[in-house]
Amino acid sequence: MSAEDETPTVNDDDSSNKGKKSAKYDSGAADLEKVTDYVEEAEISHQDIGEAIRVANDENNAKSVAKKEKEKELSKVKISKEDVDLIIHEMEIPRNLAERKLQEHKGNVVEALIALTN
Amino acid sequence: MPSKNTLPPKENALFKRILKCYEQKQYRNGLKFSKQILTNPKFSEHGETLAMKGLTLNCLGRKEEAYDYVRRGLRNDLQSHVCWHVYGLLQRSDRKYDEAIKCYRNALRWDKDNLQILRDLSLLQIQMRDLEGYKETRYQLLALRPGQRASWIGYAMAFHLLKEFDMALKIVEAFRNTQTPKTMDYEHGELLLYQNLLLRESGKMQEALDHLEKFDSQIVDRLTVSETRGEIYLKLGRYKDAAVIYTDLINRNPENWDYFKGLESATKPETEEIRWKLYTDVESRFPRASAPKRIPLNFTTGDLFRCLVDKYLRNGFHKGVPPLFITLKTVYQDKSKIAVIQELCLGYVESLRDNALFNAADENCEKEPPTALLWVYYYLAQHYDYIGNAQQALHYIDTAIQHTPLLIELYVLKAKLYKHAGDIEEAVRLIDEGQSLDTADRYINSKCAKYMLRANMIQEAADMCSKFTREGVSATDNLNEMQCMWFQTECAAAYQRLGKWGEALKKCHEVDRHFTEIIEDQFDFHTYCMRKMTLRAYVGLLRLEDVLRRHPFYFKAAKIAIEIYLHLHDHPLSDNDADKLFDADNLTPSEMKKLKNKQRKQQKKLEKEKEKQKELEKKDHTNKKQQDQDQDGPKEEELVPEKLAKAENPLDQAIKFLKPLQLLAPERIKTHICAYEIYSRKDKLLLMLQSLKRGCQVDRDNPQLHIYYLRFHILVKQRKSAGTLPESVIKVLDIEMEKLYGNKDSTTLNDEFLSRNQNSVLHRASAARMMYELNPDPNSQAKALQLATAVNSDLSGVSPKNCRDVLEFMCRGDLGKCEAETLSYQEQCHKLFPHVPSFHIPSSQSEQIVTNGNMWS
Repeated sequence: MSAEDETPTVNDDDSSNKGKKSAKYDSGAADLEKVTDYVEEAEISHQDIGEAIRVANDENNAKSVAKKEKEKELSKVKISKEDVDLIIHEMEIPRNLAERKLQEHKGNVVEALIALTN
Repeated sequence: MPSKNTLPPKENALFKRILKCYEQKQYRNGLKFSKQILTNPKFSEHGETLAMKGLTLNCLGRKEEAYDYVRRGLRNDLQSHVCWHVYGLLQRSDRKYDEAIKCYRNALRWDKDNLQILRDLSLLQIQMRDLEGYKETRYQLLALRPGQRASWIGYAMAFHLLKEFDMALKIVEAFRNTQTPKTMDYEHGELLLYQNLLLRESGKMQEALDHLEKFDSQIVDRLTVSETRGEIYLKLGRYKDAAVIYTDLINRNPENWDYFKGLESATKPETEEIRWKLYTDVESRFPRASAPKRIPLNFTTGDLFRCLVDKYLRNGFHKGVPPLFITLKTVYQDKSKIAVIQELCLGYVESLRDNALFNAADENCEKEPPTALLWVYYYLAQHYDYIGNAQQALHYIDTAIQHTPLLIELYVLKAKLYKHAGDIEEAVRLIDEGQSLDTADRYINSKCAKYMLRANMIQEAADMCSKFTREGVSATDNLNEMQCMWFQTECAAAYQRLGKWGEALKKCHEVDRHFTEIIEDQFDFHTYCMRKMTLRAYVGLLRLEDVLRRHPFYFKAAKIAIEIYLHLHDHPLSDNDADKLFDADNLTPSEMKKLKNKQRKQQKKLEKEKEKQKELEKKDHTNKKQQDQDQDGPKEEELVPEKLAKAENPLDQAIKFLKPLQLLAPERIKTHICAYEIYSRKDKLLLMLQSLKRGCQVDRDNPQLHIYYLRFHILVKQRKSAGTLPESVIKVLDIEMEKLYGNKDSTTLNDEFLSRNQNSVLHRASAARMMYELNPDPNSQAKALQLATAVNSDLSGVSPKNCRDVLEFMCRGDLGKCEAETLSYQEQCHKLFPHVPSFHIPSSQSEQIVTNGNMWS
């Protein structure tokens, strides 16, 4: 029951915060918390966790790599400030969104604008 | 403790007590302890104590001081996770979630494994739907606390919401493997059903079925198991199995229409006869069930329908079922069925009147009670109202009232008939009469209030409601507190009609705030549902909250707010301007007079009411103060009508209401019409184009959209020739205009629109308006007028509302100067709809027409 062993050390550390937590649920919710709060039995063995976490990690990494690559690709696209300003002026959207749209359309302002009017 | 500024033991103990006091809401004591620390000159600038003092003050409603202390505390101890956490909590209590997230992140920099902060952060992230961030935080929580099931569930949920089903399934499965269910373990059953939901949402139907079979004995919610099974069998095409399941479900509850639908999908009956047999089988098993009697009326035809509906109606009239008509309303989509029902009912009337039997031939039957005839009258009144025959409807309701003079339902219906006929004042009088027959009935009380609001009698409506609202508080305030939105949207509409822009806007903003409130209320469920394992319901809740402002109440309020802000943009109120009459120039003089009178009366009443209110408020003052302290969330800015009506940038305000509609109600044409109206005033060509394109996708031939469609066509031409447009905008317009208009000119487009919709009153009016707008010469004016004012029986949409719209166009000058034509149109409409005040021409001659009132032909 390794998970249980962990409990006291962490607990000590966050005892000061615990107060804040339950207090911020004002009125009814706080009571609710007390009623339903019970100690979890730590019944999950190390092995299982290791397995699941490994799976989660792998997946996470693969995903984030792919995503970063895509982002990188996008950010490589050169866009002109004038075009971005035009999009912001015409479509009334925030700058980051305008930039993104323009990048997604490889800097072609006409295409980006058409996509935005859909 | 993480801070370098640690307190000595004695002070540290005091600090712990501050935390405890905060937790137990003993704020005053908390302040005392913090004072004890801070008065010691050595610790007067102790960061964490200052921060906690601030947080405590915040709970006592001393917001400004709270911010001062918390910020000061943070400045003195920038490396304390406590200070950052406190600052985050403070921001959170003001609903500045983005800021709060930043604070939590800073706090985690100094204590990266602090469970509590991670948990708080994850709550904010799910609330803000920062799903990627949520996933990461949940991952950390899982790594820190793998022994808690909430850690697992939360992590799985993150993947589920990101639609990464495989991961979600893997995690749930890993977690499930660690569980040993007790007998009748409901929460474990819920976990399994959640896992099953994941399988189905990821499209793995066979796996879902296997899963369901494997864990069948561990799932407590048997109904859901059966329903899910039926659904999966249908999706897998295993119809025989599905039929067995749905038959079981019907035996369990023979009133659930979905089960019958499932049974039909499973058995795929080929003929009407076989299909009907499904229902007779059930009926023989459950003779008292109503669904198997009612559903066949939807699909049967001819003699079988006649026979079944005859039985259904007789049963209803015999028992005296008031909502009989409502249960049959969907059948009215079929014109031939309407005719059958009408014929049957008229037959009943005759036979019941003479023999107290539904059919004179049923001599052996027992006599029907006298109420049977009454309910037939009641039914017929609704029937004729539905098919638009006001005269007959009124005839039958009057007959019914003669038969039984004190039945409340009859007054409610008669009021409704007058409302539909366009005479809201008479409707109010009638419903009020009904209401007076049973003042303890909240339904009719509310109905009465609603009718009053339709008649712009706002104060009367509030008084009516006050019979059921809390004592000591004004009804409008109480209804706001109770989030009673039907009242508020109707109230906003009434104020709008009266031209009280500020008051109307106040109501709209109140409704908007209710929706914000409902979204806020989600917060408690993020922890609660995880703990109680109600995961399916939790996912359902999150999805509902995502589209909450799709609700009709929000739509109504937003529409009114946008219309008013547009009006305020066009006609800003000057300082000494009181709220003006809405569309004053569109009203006939008699209406004006009535309105003005009413307003004057209302003004007086309002003043009186205000005085009363003030007194009440005085009494209530102490009471209220306490309430405010209990309130969570920041105190919202008070909505002051005068300020709202003088908004500095009404168009931006309008856009705030528009955005949720564009996002959540793109299927409603009015959304795009509002959008066009706003952006045309902002002179944003491409956004106007956007509104048109979206509008055309919803309903290309919408009469109002058609007008913008052509105007935009002309506008773009003008702009292009003016030569001030940026090059890329011209390019976009060229491409899109080609798609939207072909290469046709406006006149051709208008003609085509007309020929597509020749028989609809509103479409003709739109085409006529554009005809005149494109060519304002006498020739096309004459043509346009002829087009717009026709009301013969071949046309569709000849209703009081539509004709009133046409009249308004004419009065407004959309068809040029045409007084004589307007008058004659009014006369024509008056003959058709004698109860509508706008069509009423105040001359002695037409007075007589009203009193004779027999004009429907």
